[in-house]
Amino acid sequence: MEGMTYLAIGYFGMLVGIALWTYTVVARSQRLEARLQALETALPSGDEVATDEKTDE
Amino acid sequence: MRSGNPLLFVGFLGIGSCLLLAFLWAPSVSIEAFESPAAQRLFYWHVPAAWAAFIAFGALFLGSAGWLFKRSETMWRLHVAGSEAGLATGLMTVWSGCVWGAAEWGTPWDWSDVRLNSFGLLTLLATYVVLGRNSQPDGVETRDTFAAFGLYGFVLVPITYIATRIWTIRHPGPVVATGDGGSINGDMGLLLALSALSFTVFIIGHIQASMHVTSLEQRLEKLQRIADKGA
Repeated sequence: MEGMTYLAIGYFGMLVGIALWTYTVVARSQRLEARLQALETALPSGDEVATDEKTDE
Repeated sequence: MRSGNPLLFVGFLGIGSCLLLAFLWAPSVSIEAFESPAAQRLFYWHVPAAWAAFIAFGALFLGSAGWLFKRSETMWRLHVAGSEAGLATGLMTVWSGCVWGAAEWGTPWDWSDVRLNSFGLLTLLATYVVLGRNSQPDGVETRDTFAAFGLYGFVLVPITYIATRIWTIRHPGPVVATGDGGSINGDMGLLLALSALSFTVFIIGHIQASMHVTSLEQRLEKLQRIADKGA
């Protein structure tokens, strides 16, 4: 194979990797936000949940 | 997704620009010094991707230590984000390295080369941590197990870094921070630095975004428990 073909294959693979990885993170975030919104609407107010507390040991 | 978005966008712009510059502006290398001078241009993403992988493995180490010693939820989220970022950038580095190796050496992998194998092991470690954690229910024992892997696995990072300084077999030696001014010219060095900076911004944006996703997952799980109790 020509050097340019290797170059194109290398960069194309990395581009696909970056795109897939970013898409996965963004899609997961959007899906979770939608589910959270639905649950928060369904639950009575006063059930707010914080996530920064330390876990029980 | 609010968190991490501006950094991700700036990082994308930066690495996209560096890709264009690598094709259109970067000087060619000597045809005598390389078997495949065209494929050498992979260097402008391969080296910064490896640099980003080291940042990700640093985040994995910090997150693992923070979870094991402080039991901090924020540190656990850093562990999760670091392992995912380490896997993605590690695979990109291995992929581009294999393609360049096939063009330059005639073989994509050399099992006798220390750097290739230690970096391959790091990527395998990230794969194990990501897949293993996703297959287990979340809990203190699960977190402790994977945090221990993240903590002790980090020892491979300095080994990988110094590998080409001590055991240069097949992988090229360092081109920057060598003490003798390095072996690349000014334009190549400038583009490499710009690309490394862009990948750094990009990986920080991704780590922030992943930490945000993990916090959403934790919040959802807690809300789900509350909803189940009320049902």
